[in-house]
Amino acid sequence: MNPRPTLGAFWLLLSLGVALPLLVLAWRGLGDMAILPGVLDLAGVSLLLALVGSLLCLAVGGGLAWLAFRARLHPGWDALLLPAYLVPPFVGALGFLYALQLVGLQPYGVGGILLAWTAHYAPIAYLLLRPALESKLAPLLVACEVHGVTGWRRVRALLPPLLPALVAAFGALYLTLLGNFGVPAVLGLPAQVYTLPTLAYTRLFSPASPDPLGEAAAIGLLLGLLALPALLLSSQPSGEPSPRPLRPRLVWAARIGFTLFALAAVVFPLVGLVRRALFNTFTGAFQPAFVTAWELPLVRQGLTNSVLLALLATGLLLLLGLLMAPQRSAMKHLRQVLDMHYLLPGTLLALGLILLLAPTPLYATPWILLLAYLLNFAALMLRSIEAGLEAGIERLVEVGKLFGLRHGWAWWKIGFPLLQPYLAAGVFLILPLCMAELTLSAMLYAPGSETLGVAVLSALNGGLFREAAAIGLMLMALSLLLLWVPRRGVA
Amino acid sequence: MLQLENVSKSFGKAGVFDASLRLEPGEIVAVLGASGSGKTTLLNLVAGLTEPDAGRIFLGPDDVTHQPPEKRGLAYVFQDHALWPHLSALDHLLLVMKKPDREAAHQLLERVGLKGLDARKPHQLSGGQKQRVALARALAARPRLLLLDEPYSALDPVLREELRLEVASLLRAEHVSALHVTHDPDEALAVADRVAVMDGGRIVQVDTPTQVYTRPQTLSAARAFGRLNLLPVQVRQGQAQLNGQAWPVEGLQNGTGLLAFRYEDLQPGPQGLLARVLAVYGGRGERLSRVDLGVGEAVVKLHAEPEEQVRLAPAGKLRVFEADG
Repeated sequence: MNPRPTLGAFWLLLSLGVALPLLVLAWRGLGDMAILPGVLDLAGVSLLLALVGSLLCLAVGGGLAWLAFRARLHPGWDALLLPAYLVPPFVGALGFLYALQLVGLQPYGVGGILLAWTAHYAPIAYLLLRPALESKLAPLLVACEVHGVTGWRRVRALLPPLLPALVAAFGALYLTLLGNFGVPAVLGLPAQVYTLPTLAYTRLFSPASPDPLGEAAAIGLLLGLLALPALLLSSQPSGEPSPRPLRPRLVWAARIGFTLFALAAVVFPLVGLVRRALFNTFTGAFQPAFVTAWELPLVRQGLTNSVLLALLATGLLLLLGLLMAPQRSAMKHLRQVLDMHYLLPGTLLALGLILLLAPTPLYATPWILLLAYLLNFAALMLRSIEAGLEAGIERLVEVGKLFGLRHGWAWWKIGFPLLQPYLAAGVFLILPLCMAELTLSAMLYAPGSETLGVAVLSALNGGLFREAAAIGLMLMALSLLLLWVPRRGVA
Repeated sequence: MLQLENVSKSFGKAGVFDASLRLEPGEIVAVLGASGSGKTTLLNLVAGLTEPDAGRIFLGPDDVTHQPPEKRGLAYVFQDHALWPHLSALDHLLLVMKKPDREAAHQLLERVGLKGLDARKPHQLSGGQKQRVALARALAARPRLLLLDEPYSALDPVLREELRLEVASLLRAEHVSALHVTHDPDEALAVADRVAVMDGGRIVQVDTPTQVYTRPQTLSAARAFGRLNLLPVQVRQGQAQLNGQAWPVEGLQNGTGLLAFRYEDLQPGPQGLLARVLAVYGGRGERLSRVDLGVGEAVVKLHAEPEEQVRLAPAGKLRVFEADG
C-alpha cells in the first residue's frame, strides 16, 4: 500500500476531527440564520470596535516600537510594557473599571473597552513590530542617514519595506480583539454594549430565548466570518536582528513614552484594584477583602479547578510536545491544524464543543474544559517547540545522527536538553493562560466545574466588587510570574 | 572506499547531475567549484542528508544509497562547526565514540591541540578551537569516510593555512579517507591527493591537483584554480594566430576559441609577441604585470616597469577551448 495516500487520508481525518467543533457550529448556525438580521447592527459595532481598537494598539505599540528602535533602548525597558500584556485582559478591565471610578469617570461602554484593549494589546504590536524594525529597517535607516535621505523621502524609503509587518500585526490584533471576551464582559455588558462574543454568551444563557444554542451558534458563525479575512494576513518572518551602528536619537522621548505607558496601562489599573481590594468602599477603612474572597465557596472551587486544569492541560501538552518534537513535519502539520483553535475566537470553540458534546457524559464536567484548553493552547506549545527546532536544534540532532547516534538516543542526548528553554517557555506561557482563562470557561462551566475567571465574573455579577478585586489582584500577581520567562520567538 | 555511480539530485536547474567519483582508502579528494556548483549537495548526498533522484552510492562494498545517515558510519566537519552547545569538548567525543573511552578522548583532544580544554563548552572556545573540537569529534567517531564542508572558510588566513596543513597530515597519519569541499584552490592544492572540479552540478574533471592546474580538460576546470587569462583566438591546424605569430596549442585544432593560460605560462623571449606593460603589482611573493598583447590584455608573472616593452612567448603548449566550453 502506498504510504502517501494513507498519510494524506490520516491528516485529512485528523484535520476534520479537530475542526469538528467548528463544522458543527457552522452547521447549526446556518439553521438559525433568521436571527442574524436582528444582530447585524451589533456585528457592525463588534467589527468597528475591533478595527478601531487594532488601529489604536498599532499606533501606541508601533509608536513605542519606533521610539525604542530610534533610541536603541535596552531590552530591559520592555519590562515596563510587558506587565500590561501579561495580566489577563479581564483583570486589566477590572482594574480600569475601579480606577476610572476612582477619578469620577464613567468606565462602562465603548470608551472603557477601547482603553482597556489598548492598554492590554499595544504591547503585542510592540513585540511584533520591534524585531521587524531592527531586522528590516535598521540597515535601510543607516543607508538613509549616510546618504542624507530625510523627510518625506525617508518615509518613502522606509515605510514600504515595513508594510508587510504592519499588515500582519494589524491582522493579529484584529483577530485577538474581535474574539476577546473578558474586556467587553466586564466593561460592556453592564452598559448593554455588546460585542459578538459577549452577545453569543448572553444569548446562550438567555432564559427568554426559544433556541439559545442555535442563536449563539448563528452569532458564532457571524464571528467566524468576520475573523476569516484576518487569517489570510499571514505573519511575516521577522528575521534576526543584526547589530547596526545606529546613533541613539529621541532617547528621552522613548524613556518618557515607556514610563507613561507603564503608568497608564499598569499602575493606574493596579491602583484601582488595590484600592478596592484593600479599603472599604464606603468607610474608606483599611479592610482587605482577601479573606472574605477566600471564604466564598465559588472562589475555592474555582481555584482548585483552575489549578488542576492548568496543571493537567500543561502537562499533557508538554507530553504532546515531547512526543512530536522528533517528528518535525508531522508536528508542523498538527500545529497548522490546531492553529484554527488558537487563532480563531475561543467563543467558536466553546460553542462548537457544547454542540458536539452536549449529548455525551463529558458535557457539564471539568473534562470538557480540559479538552477545550488542550485544543485552544496546543498550538502555542507546538509553536514554542518549533521556534527551538528552527533555531538550529533539529540540525544539531541530525548532526548527531550523522555521527551514528540512533534517532531516540540523539534526541535524548542532544534534542531534548537543547529544547529545555523552549519547553519551559511553552509551559510558563500556557500555565498562567489556563489559570486565568475566561472565554472558554464562561461558556463551558457547570456547577462544580467553575474556574477562577468564572468566580471573578460571578462575584462581579453578584455585586461582590471588592472580592472580585482581591481575586483579580491574585491573578495579576500570578500572571506577572511570566516576566521571568525567557521570550523565545513565540507569538 | 567511496563510489558514486551516476548520482543525480535536482532542485530545479540546480543540484548534482550524473556525478561519478571513486575514492580509494586513505585518499583525500577535494571537491572544488564556485558557489552554487553543487559541491555541498554532493557532500549531503554522500552523508545521506539528501536522497538522490538517481544513481547509486557505495561505501566499501555496501550500497548505502537509501541508508539513513546514522547507518553510514561517516563523520562530518561543518563550516559552522555544528557543535552541541550544551556539551563540553570531551563530551562531544564521548558521545560519538562507539565505545566511550575517556583516556582515548583526552589523547585525541591533545593531538588536535586542545590540551587542557576538555571541559570547555563551545561558547568558551575561539573559532579555531571550535573547529579543532569539530575535527576531534570527527576522528573520534572512527569514520569510514570523513566529509569536510569548507571547514576553514570562517577562520582568519593564518589560522586557516596552519589548520589545513595540520589536518591533512593528521588524516594521512590516521589513514582516513576524506571528501573535502572547498571553493579555495589553494586549499585544494594543499590538502588533496586528487581534485574533483564541479561546475553546474557536474563533475567536469577528476585528477591530481597539478594535472588539473596545468592540464585542465574544460574551461570551467581551468577557471576553478583562478590565475587564468583568456584571449579570443583563431586556430588553424593546431596553431593559434596572434598578431602574425603562430603558437602551437592543444585542444581546439581549427576555428575560433579561447586561449587559456596561467600567469606563469608566458615568459620573456626574443622571438615572442611584443607586449606593453600597463601596470605592475605584487602577488604572493611574486611580481605580476598587466600587459597589452595587441590581441588583448593579460596578467603575467613578470618583473617589469610600466610602459616597458617586452616580448613574451609560451613556456609550453597552451590550450584553446571552444568559446562556449
